Amino acid sequence: MKSENGTCMTCNKTEKWRKDFPIEWEGDNYVSRREMVKFLTLGSFLLVLANWITVVSARFLHRGSKTEKLLGLSADLRENGSALFRYPTAKDPCIAVRTAEGKLVAYSQVCTHLSCAVVYDDAEHSLFCPCHNGRFNLDQGAPIAGPPTRPLPRIKLEERDGRIYAVELEA
Amino acid sequence: MSTRQQGTVLFTGILFLVATTVVIQLWLLTVSMEALLGGIMRTLVPAASASTVLLCINASLLRYVFRFDRQVRSTK
Repeated sequence: MKSENGTCMTCNKTEKWRKDFPIEWEGDNYVSRREMVKFLTLGSFLLVLANWITVVSARFLHRGSKTEKLLGLSADLRENGSALFRYPTAKDPCIAVRTAEGKLVAYSQVCTHLSCAVVYDDAEHSLFCPCHNGRFNLDQGAPIAGPPTRPLPRIKLEERDGRIYAVELEA
Repeated sequence: MSTRQQGTVLFTGILFLVATTVVIQLWLLTVSMEALLGGIMRTLVPAASASTVLLCINASLLRYVFRFDRQVRSTK
């Protein structure tokens, strides 16, 4: 009869393989668990670091933009209608909507799901993403249907002297 | 039961605790990334703070492991 570590229990002899590989199971388990705790704590430290990097990078990613840009004449944007523009750079498509009540709102045209372009649905009074049937409300740009979970970035507009200006990209 | 055997059992328990907190930290990081993309800034600092608290718990458990280990070595 042999024990777990290869020793013959009746004759008190040690097998050849045991002599070649003298592993002490108890000590091995002890050290491997201790090392694993050490390794996981290092991982924990790296995760904290990544979390704080997220906090710092938020300052750079969502600092917004406050450049003023003329979009056009107020008269050109009728009630329950929309117009496309680019703000703050030529690479950022946006959509301005004058609601049926006459309120003027603007959002980024890039859907927060998979970056398709959203369009104004004048029958449903909401912004619609045709790629996956996503829908956003006009009050806050919040997702109300479909796969998107995050709201559309909002662009602050101002109407002065019969003209519409984009004044700020809100984070 | 030898002190080393006790240590193995103790370390197994601590290992599970630390692994659980690391999983929670991973979840906190994914929540932070999601909030960052969604522009929900108020979530970021509490998530990072909670993660730091979990790191402190892990570090104190690791300190305990090292202390125990030192004790085992000195009694050998």
